[in-house]
This record gives sequence, structure tokens and C-alpha cells, in this order.
Amino acid sequence: MFDTFSEKKFLLTELVKRNLTSKYKDSVLGILWSFFNPLLTMLVFTAIFSMLFGRNIENYPVYYLAGRLMFDFYTHGTKGAMNSIRKNANLLKKIFVPKRMFATSSICYEFVNFLISLIILFGVMLITGSPFHFTLIYTIIPVALLVILIFGVGLILAVCNTYFSDIGYLYNVFTLVLLYASAMFYPIEIVPTQVQILFTLNPVYCAMTCFRQCVYGAFPDVSMLLYLGAFAFTTLGIGVILFNIYDKKLALEL
Amino acid sequence: MGVIDKIKGIIGSNKSLDNRPVLDDNVAVNVEHLSMEFKITKDKIDTLKEYVIRTLKRNKKEKEKVRVLDDISFKVYKGDKLGILGFNGAGKSTLLKIMAGIYEPTSGKIEINGKVAPLLELSAGFDKNYTGKNNIYLNGAFLSMDKDFLDEKFDEIVEFSELGEYINYPVKNYSSGMRAKLGFSIATLIEPDILIVDEILSVGDIKFRKKSSQKINELMAEGVTVLLVSHSISQMRKICDKCIWIDNGKIVMEGEANEVCDAYVENAGSKMNKKKKKKK
Repeated sequence: MFDTFSEKKFLLTELVKRNLTSKYKDSVLGILWSFFNPLLTMLVFTAIFSMLFGRNIENYPVYYLAGRLMFDFYTHGTKGAMNSIRKNANLLKKIFVPKRMFATSSICYEFVNFLISLIILFGVMLITGSPFHFTLIYTIIPVALLVILIFGVGLILAVCNTYFSDIGYLYNVFTLVLLYASAMFYPIEIVPTQVQILFTLNPVYCAMTCFRQCVYGAFPDVSMLLYLGAFAFTTLGIGVILFNIYDKKLALEL
Repeated sequence: MGVIDKIKGIIGSNKSLDNRPVLDDNVAVNVEHLSMEFKITKDKIDTLKEYVIRTLKRNKKEKEKVRVLDDISFKVYKGDKLGILGFNGAGKSTLLKIMAGIYEPTSGKIEINGKVAPLLELSAGFDKNYTGKNNIYLNGAFLSMDKDFLDEKFDEIVEFSELGEYINYPVKNYSSGMRAKLGFSIATLIEPDILIVDEILSVGDIKFRKKSSQKINELMAEGVTVLLVSHSISQMRKICDKCIWIDNGKIVMEGEANEVCDAYVENAGSKMNKKKKKKK
């Protein structure tokens, strides 16, 4: 069962497809919501915060969107992976499917969503007349590292959430804290300098900042990338080990 | 390299399948000292808050362990048709689930040599909002088939399931019989070495029942190894050449199908008589 690569790939694509269709099942606009959601919140945030921070931030809509897309990818990806085992409990109790496929598929699905919403970012950049720097290519680095981080965190959460269902609620609160600790919609400069160091310990903030730097035409901060990389790979290592240990025991907890 | 390896590890090969060494070529399934315990607590702690509070208060209820399978060992040779008998709750289905890879046994080991096709829950993988057509692909993916294979067999599935143009309707609008028919048509596509069957699946109306039991017989006739759980003794005698009888998680009897069936029927009969006498 699931020995060849093509079988696994097919299962993965089918699962991603199922996620896509089930999310927008009864909505008229369907997948278009992947565009509208960030776009509408961007308009709201721009209206409110460009008055407050307008002077500190060059091109607030782009600043906000770049941060928001990365942050959404992180929270949705990790939450998706976290819930993937519980959500498919009925299936996992009845037939044999490698559980990691469910976690992987929900992260892949969020990645697809992220790629789609990048179109919004580029659109807004065009409209606001923001130049397309060649450094945009480097966005691949923070995005790739973020994917690895999401895999690690997602796997750990998936195991924990299967044992204790309230991890999900706790994590919701945690992501709210993370939102404020990532300087997503405000400039980092409004935070006291001593506290700014704490921010740089937040890997999501690092990924977001590097991504923004690339969008704004600078080369991403190397020390931040290194820290993010180290953090992401360590988390991934822990996640993979933890998941492998509990993989078979999870079915009994469902 | 590191990244690629690790990501491969996540998507990659399943460990439980890797540690099944190929043993004697003639053995299809080798079960050694297999035990399975379920932890049962009367009030299950599944929130973190409760877990912490109880650990602090030190009144964590001791988990009761229920031994569903107790030190079971047997071997199935290639081409054998093994029947598993037992009353309800004896542990038959748990045994099949372990063989299918859904549960990990508490102790003991199980080695499986060949491709397994568990015909256990045929419509478990359906997505209700999908059309029958999409469900064929989804369910096929769950059963470890790939796209090319399904493309090739698609017409065959539709024809066998007798759904006609209903294949383009969402499965939520199907009757339970139609669902079962579609599930059966997909699941029996696999060409397995070992077939695990929980009750002979004769589903649908008379026409389809005949067809499906024929299909099962065809699958079984091709020299595959069969593990069958059934409460129908006559089927057992017809299909199986060996039987094991499980009661309370232990093997009571093992041997030639007819002998075990006779003993089992006799035992069941005497138990019924005892109860009748008690009532009197």
C-alpha cells in the first residue's frame, strides 16, 4: 500500500482537491474568495492604519499585504495540519492511509492558496505603482523556510491535538499573540528598541521581514534568514520524530 | 540534500511497512504472539486542562486495559483460505484491522508478505459532496491506486456499478444501495496477493448480489490468500480450507475448516441450551 511515488502523489493531489472544493462548497464566488478575503481586509486596514502610520511606511497596502499573506499562510497551514488528523478520524479508523498524508495535504492546500493570493499582492503593487525589483526572486528563500517551519509546527500540533483537543483553542490564542508579535500591520519602529530584539526571536516575524525586504528591493537580512533556517529545521526534525513515534498510536486515540 | 530528505521522510515510505522482512516465500502472513490492548477509562481525559488538574490532584483514574487479543500466533501460507470464527466481541475485527495496518499491536509482531487488499469498509472514503465520478478517483487514491490505473479502469467501474448516468450526480443523493455498489466496484479492482474480507460483501439488489459474489469468488479463485471473517458457517465451509476460532482474544481451536466449524457450531449450540435451561 502506498509504496510507489505515483500513488502517493495522486493521493496528495486528490486530498488537496478535496480541500479546495469543500471549503468553497456553497459559496457563489467559490475560489475567488481566496482573492477577496485578503483584498478586503487590506482595504480596511489601509483605510485605518495608513492614517496612523502612513508617514512611517512606504506604500502601506503593499507593506500590509506582504505581511498578511505570509502570516495567513503560517496560521492556516499550521492549523490545517493540526486539525487534519481529528477531522479525518472516521476515515483513519476504518481504512489504512498514512496519516502524514493528511497533514501534508492540508499544508500543500494552504500553499496553493498562498500562491493564488500572491496575485493580489502583484496586482496591488501594479496599481500603487510600486516598482518590481529583481530581488523579488529572493522571496523564494523566506517562503521555502516558512514552509519547512509550517511542516515542523504542523506535525507537532497534529500529534498534540489528537491527544488533547484543547490544544486547538490554546493555539488560536497563541496565533493572536503571534499576530501582534509579528508587526504585521504596524511598523516595527513604534516598538521600543529593547523590545525589538524580542521580535527578532519570532521566526514568523523573521520570515515576514525578509519577504518584505525582497518586495521592497533589498536583499533579505542574512542573519535573520540563518536564524529562521535553524529554527525551521530544528522544528521540522522534532516534528518528524514525534510524528513517527506516535503515528501508529494516533488511531487508538481518535 | 537535508531538506529534500526530510521532506521525503514526511511524505515518504511508511515505516510500519518497511519493517516487514521478507521471510519464507511460502508464508503470506505470519502472526507471532500478537496482543492488543485498548485503554478504556470511564471518563476519558482528553483535554489538557483536565490532565493538568488531575495530575496535580493526583486522582488520575487508573486506565483500565482491555485485552482484546491475547498472545495469538498463526501462520498463513500462500494460497491458503483462512476463516476466522468467533462470537461477537471475540476480537476478529480487531485482528483484521491490525492486519490492514490501521492499528498497531501492543506487543508481538505481524509480518505480511505481499499486497494486501482489505475489503473492510467500502464506502468509508466517499466525500458526500463529490459526484460519483470524482469519488471513484478519491476512493481509488485512498486504496493506493494511481491515476493512470483509474483512468484505464474507469469505464469498467462505472459499468460494473450499474450507476449509468447517476455517476455524474453527487453521492449525497445516492441511495445506500447505490453507494455500496460503487464502493464495491472500486475496492475490488485491486489485484491483491492477500485479500482480507469482513463478511462476504453481497450488497445491493438481487442482480448485483449475484454479480458481486461472483466477483469475490473470481478474486479468491486466482490463487490469492484469503482471510475471511464471517458468521455464515456454510460460506465458511464452502470457501475456506483452514479455520481458526477465537474467543476472548485467544485461539480456541485451529485446524481444518470443517472440523473447526463443527466444534464451533456445537459450542454455540450448547451455550444456547445452557441459557435455555437457566431460564427454565
